[in-house]
Amino acid sequence: MSGAQGGAEDRAGVWVAVDIGGTFTDLVAFEAGSGRVRAAKSLSTPPEFERGVEEALAAAVDPAPVRAFLHGTTVVINALIERKGAPTALVTTRGFRDVLEIGRANRPDLYNMRYAKPRPFVRRRHRLEVGGRVTSRGLVTEPLRPEELREVARFLRDEGIRSVAVSFLNAYANPALEEEAARILAAELPGVSVTCATAISRRWREYERTNTAVLNAFVQPVASAYLGRLGAILDRRGVPRNRRWLMQSGGGLTDFADALPFAIHLVESGPAAGVVGAAALARAAGLRQVVALDVGGTTAKASLVEDGRVRVLSDYAIERRRDFAGYPLEVPAVDLVEVGAGGGSIAWIDPAGQVRVGPRSAGADPGPAAYGRGGGDATVTDADLVTGRIGASRPFGGGLRLSVGAAREAVTRLGARLGLGPEATARGIARLAEAHMAHAIEMVSLARGRDPRDFWLVAYGGGGPVHAASLARELRLKGVVIPPLPGVFSALGMLAADLRRTFTRTLPGPAADGASAGRVRGEVPNWREAVREMDELARRWLAAQGVAASRAEIEHAVEMRYRGQEHTVRVPLRTTDLLGLELDEAALTEAVRDFHRLHEELYAFRLDQAVEVVDLVVTAVGRLGDPARLFAAEPAAGGRPAPSDVREVDWDGWGLRATPVFERAGLPPGWQAKGPCLIEEPGTTTAVWPEERVSVDELGLIRIEEEG
Amino acid sequence: MDAATDPFTLEVVKAGIEAACDEMFVALAKTSQSPIIYEVLDYATGITDAEGRLLVQGNGVTGFLGTVASAAREVVRRYAGDLRPGDVVAGNDPYAGGGTHLSDVSLVMPFFCGEELLGFGSIKAHWAEIGGANPGSFATDTPDVFSEGLQLPFVKIVAEGRENRALVETIAANVRTPEATLGDFRAQWAALAVGARRLEALARRYGVATVRLAMADILRRGEILAREALARLPKGTFTAEDAIDDDGVTGEPIPIRVRVTITGDAFTADFTGSGPTARGSINTTWAGLEAGVRTAYRALLAPELPANEGVFAPLRIVCPPGTVFTALRPAPVSTYWEASDHATDLVLKALAEACPDRLVAGHHLSVCGTILAGRVDGEERILVEPQAGGWGAGPDKDGEHALVPVGDGETYALPAEVVEARYGFEVTAFTLDVVPAGAGRRRGGRGVRKELRIPWGPVLLTASFGRHRVPPWGVAGGREGSPNAIEVEHRDGRRIRAGKLARYPLGPGDLVRFRTGTGGGWGDPRLREKELVRQDLEDGLVTPLEAVRDYGWERDEALRAFRP
Repeated sequence: MSGAQGGAEDRAGVWVAVDIGGTFTDLVAFEAGSGRVRAAKSLSTPPEFERGVEEALAAAVDPAPVRAFLHGTTVVINALIERKGAPTALVTTRGFRDVLEIGRANRPDLYNMRYAKPRPFVRRRHRLEVGGRVTSRGLVTEPLRPEELREVARFLRDEGIRSVAVSFLNAYANPALEEEAARILAAELPGVSVTCATAISRRWREYERTNTAVLNAFVQPVASAYLGRLGAILDRRGVPRNRRWLMQSGGGLTDFADALPFAIHLVESGPAAGVVGAAALARAAGLRQVVALDVGGTTAKASLVEDGRVRVLSDYAIERRRDFAGYPLEVPAVDLVEVGAGGGSIAWIDPAGQVRVGPRSAGADPGPAAYGRGGGDATVTDADLVTGRIGASRPFGGGLRLSVGAAREAVTRLGARLGLGPEATARGIARLAEAHMAHAIEMVSLARGRDPRDFWLVAYGGGGPVHAASLARELRLKGVVIPPLPGVFSALGMLAADLRRTFTRTLPGPAADGASAGRVRGEVPNWREAVREMDELARRWLAAQGVAASRAEIEHAVEMRYRGQEHTVRVPLRTTDLLGLELDEAALTEAVRDFHRLHEELYAFRLDQAVEVVDLVVTAVGRLGDPARLFAAEPAAGGRPAPSDVREVDWDGWGLRATPVFERAGLPPGWQAKGPCLIEEPGTTTAVWPEERVSVDELGLIRIEEEG
Repeated sequence: MDAATDPFTLEVVKAGIEAACDEMFVALAKTSQSPIIYEVLDYATGITDAEGRLLVQGNGVTGFLGTVASAAREVVRRYAGDLRPGDVVAGNDPYAGGGTHLSDVSLVMPFFCGEELLGFGSIKAHWAEIGGANPGSFATDTPDVFSEGLQLPFVKIVAEGRENRALVETIAANVRTPEATLGDFRAQWAALAVGARRLEALARRYGVATVRLAMADILRRGEILAREALARLPKGTFTAEDAIDDDGVTGEPIPIRVRVTITGDAFTADFTGSGPTARGSINTTWAGLEAGVRTAYRALLAPELPANEGVFAPLRIVCPPGTVFTALRPAPVSTYWEASDHATDLVLKALAEACPDRLVAGHHLSVCGTILAGRVDGEERILVEPQAGGWGAGPDKDGEHALVPVGDGETYALPAEVVEARYGFEVTAFTLDVVPAGAGRRRGGRGVRKELRIPWGPVLLTASFGRHRVPPWGVAGGREGSPNAIEVEHRDGRRIRAGKLARYPLGPGDLVRFRTGTGGGWGDPRLREKELVRQDLEDGLVTPLEAVRDYGWERDEALRAFRP
């Protein structure tokens, strides 16, 4: 047994994916032999998250042996948000220790004179400067002085520092000094974690790169301890060591050993997994253009999936809000737009008497009024109960039962202040929440030059299937697809993910002149050499992950822009070959042509102007299995599925209608019905509106389309 | 349900108008070619109703607050009845239509649904180059507006979707970087088109009447929110005096004063008694004064209030014509932000002690705009940058280190690596500037020290650092901060220190140092908790000199704790 080789038979035994969120730990188990998928939801167990994993495994998988373990976790983001990391220091170029504190100096909360900017994760005393300079072209103009670093190491040892980030000016152009400094510090400081900034990002902008290194240094020892404890649990259960993978923010899996030094890549693994799942589903179902929509308790997240591919951005930030600069991270992250509208979002009236929904959320505790845990505010979930679009008859995750009475009371109270009855108020809350969700969908489609009418909406999370059809109608999307297990779809998505690792390098230079032939002024960097180097890194990484050549790929892309612009457009290069890419004249010419087209698609215009390459991007991909099997339906018990219930539901403009309620588990492939109807399953309800048609396709996916 | 009685539909439409403005803002940042737009976000996007009343504004900087609507009103005045879908009007007249200085160019597009005029999209953006006597189009010593660049007196630059070639080529011929300038123009136009499409879709979905109803509701609710916030402010009359360092030509300080009167239903700021229009370019016209006061007004009422015309209904501004705040044609205004930001600062200073829960002590205030211009390989290189500085303390918080001033906002300092790679200057330091100033029970934040080594020449340095002589003010016994300064160390040993420079020549090997001030302190420094002083000494954020002089420490103890 050597790694993820072989074909589908490699999926023998049970594959388990566990996604730890702030409130719930979701588990999905896939039995390769039978093709069966099981799901379980339990409460998370901070701060000993691994205990929750162990309990979930015992409850849902035993006694079957676990043959592979895939994992997404909040451990890293929790340590960052709660500022519970290791005592950390920064070693940097002379003259630049305050880069971490100056940041970009912006004041996003424009009219607030009391704005407090992000506090650096390392205090000034522990930000140390040393000599040594590299130019922007990578020339060393001043060497390191090892004795200076040894002195720094002594001070850090005395101060009890447990983790050090090393980040030098212009190291993106040549990391030699930075690497040398990291080596010296590691040798001088045994047992102390050392993070080299360019090992995570080789893009320019010293603040962003340095901050990324510092945050990685801050969480690395915490993540390392967690993975150690988790590893011991997996050892006891006999999970093969080369079959344990972690979900990264960029939507790719990586093994424990590889994840360990770069824990920051785990910062946003849950949301990424859902989008990866939606992409796999899009490929399996043959849907070219998809918006993935995850509606949770507090927010809705939308992401674009085209040709089965997830959009990955290379700049991300934590704690960034409209009114707060946050902390930038130069790690690949799935491109999501998040809005403050989820099931727990509170409807309220502002001082001017305007009604609003969100962004404040009742969360899981006390939760919506219907939870009966003391939440008195009317939330989106309460409104959905009052309209009848969700029911109270089945347990609502974690054994919770909903109270329609409590929901109605809260909605009535709010309505009274608006001079509206509870029904009109509930309809309005749903509409307003959906307007926010629609905005998120538009920001990833319309605002990026796409026509939403070409898209299928793949909706999941507890609130996704409830609001999807309404959103699709409002935005005139093609239709709605509800995947299997929408309540634990992030965990399911992990089972569909690939191993991925991205290498990026900033090497700006002219790609082509505008109208006239010939090159623009300026020297052309050695891109070929850089790509060759990164290809080699990619191949080595794939080998280390045990990926067979038949299941491996290397993807190439360049970040390009019009000369003088700042923002770049990522242009995929068509060559995907394990042998690597020759970034020659022909490839560049094609890339420039694609760039003009993509720029016009995205921004509605193209310029007759010189085009520059900024970053080279090389991604190693290892496929683990056949995700299509995940979505294969378990055949339902034969016969014509009868509604389990019929109830009065308020369909806004269509009024009150007697609406049949079906159990999803009883609906076989090929089943069809006319709206209105409701389809219930654990954790969520799919609402099908009047004048819509719903069907279950051969994969078991629920599809909703407009009639006619 | 009738839309008039359905608050939810109105909210959905209002959210749609806000979203359209948002998308315009994002679209411009992504397509612009000037660092001043994409890094500094020195622009604002707005949507107005058909009469040019501001409904929503997306800001990169505070300085443009409300000016986008004045531009739309100017378009209404000049072109009412003569506007077609797809038209774009360009204007940068500093003396009309919300104009500030020539570099800030407004583009206004009427938003239609069919033949119905819904309102206007208006974007004001800082173009890196608009021609004139000086590279970068501003200088501290311009004698009049004619030397400051090309004037665009609200002319149709696009008619029904077709570019006015004569005008576009005239612009190209008058600026130093035609490629970038026209690129910015087209990006701004494209961003307006995004807003036009969104508003049209909104009107088609919900009806023109509902959109107009939502617009009226935005204004009505804005005023209610503002009046409610106004009621919570202390009532009375508050005054402040200060001085603008000099005008960049004569070296004479310019006295400025304000008298703020807050009653139950009005907020009046009266600048009568401030000095006359100066000879140098630090003057602002009415638009800059209004935007400056609006910034302070919003900070005082509630920073989270929306920006629309209704919110500003209770605000009155009084100032006779011909002052430094109310310059008239053809007075020079290319560094207008110096006076405009002082207007904001004066109002804040008048009210700081009365409104401690909203305000802080004085900060470095000046945008500290710098231009380094030269030619390399036959190509013009112009680096235009604002500099961050130290902010003032509040009664319960230390001042922030290194933030852009009140006139800026979502404005980003340029990374040293970008400056080096793109412009070729060597950045030898970018660090907090720890100087003995700004002590207080809560201390001021530190400014920055940025050093650039000039590798080639000649390079011309133009810079306007206000508050070079008059430092940021302290509150309630807090010490004042430190001034801003430009320092040059020539290779031959000559040194200069200045607040304003115009086209100052630099050569290979020369070192330029930009230093911005520490903010003012709040409260008696002797009352500062000893542990906090110790931490600052350990972090090298307070000098032993201040520990002894201001905080009452023993010399030896301070030296022991200090780590530079």
